[in-house]
Amino acid sequence: MAYSNKVLDHYNHPRNVGSMDKNDPNVGTGMVGAPECGDVMKLQLKVNPSTGVIEDAKFKTFGCGSAIASSSLATEWVRGKTVDEALAIKNTDIVNELSLPPVKIHCSVLAEDAIKAAVADYKRKHETGEGFEKAAS
Amino acid sequence: MEPIPSNYYDLFGLEHRLALDPRDLEKRFYSLSRKFHPDLYTLKSPEEQQYALDATAILNDAYRTLRDPLTRAEYLLKENGFDIGEQGSKNVPPELLEEVFELNMALEELRGGDEEARAALAEAQKKFAGMRDDIDRELETKFAEYDRTRNRDVLSEIRGSLNRRRYVRNLVNEVEKELVETTDAPR
Repeated sequence: MAYSNKVLDHYNHPRNVGSMDKNDPNVGTGMVGAPECGDVMKLQLKVNPSTGVIEDAKFKTFGCGSAIASSSLATEWVRGKTVDEALAIKNTDIVNELSLPPVKIHCSVLAEDAIKAAVADYKRKHETGEGFEKAAS
Repeated sequence: MEPIPSNYYDLFGLEHRLALDPRDLEKRFYSLSRKFHPDLYTLKSPEEQQYALDATAILNDAYRTLRDPLTRAEYLLKENGFDIGEQGSKNVPPELLEEVFELNMALEELRGGDEEARAALAEAQKKFAGMRDDIDRELETKFAEYDRTRNRDVLSEIRGSLNRRRYVRNLVNEVEKELVETTDAPR
């Protein structure tokens, strides 16, 4: 099955590959995986704590082209959004943007799950203050 | 022509259990294979010949599915309304994801020519092969438990173990492949 041009573009020129310090209290980390195909995806968000705006996003994905493209696109989309706006991103938006075929829809689900997990991690750090202690030690 | 049972267990006349005696299954398979063998139907009507072909095809699928404990478990889970092959991280413990990620990083480093990653990979290979064996033992115990209790919660645990096992198996295969390939590569 042929990949769409958008998938190929993200695959060949992935945006925002990399990682951030997961102990930074302003960084939320989401790690998700699909046992079926062995994919694993890490997505990190750096949030401005006073505005709630996502200032930076990084990802690293081991998996197929569609999984890489989905997470690459996700990091592009969340930048500049508030964490709550980021939660509104749906996997179907990713499917439409990348013209993913039905067999690759799970890749977009993974990317949506990764955003949710990263936001949840960020919120958890800020509710308990645990992240601050960790970063200080 | 009696209808061919579409359920694999029913086809073999077996109870729907997770633990099966492979020798008994094999015996049943051979006996049914003889019964449905297309050669026995060459002088029969076209409908009957088709029947023999269909029965043989189903029988082969059934045997292949039930012979392997893992595909057998997946089959029984499906029968009980569990979604198999459902993608997502719901059944993967976060620590395992962490390890999978680290292992993939090491694989990437080795592919990039970093020889120091080799030792880490060999170590990881041992660890994941050990995990796979642990999961297999765990599954065996849970199979017996389900057959005894018919408890749906046990099936749900089994599904989790199968997911983890699939993940781990893919990793073991990938690491093995990488260790062999990079060793054989001309310098």
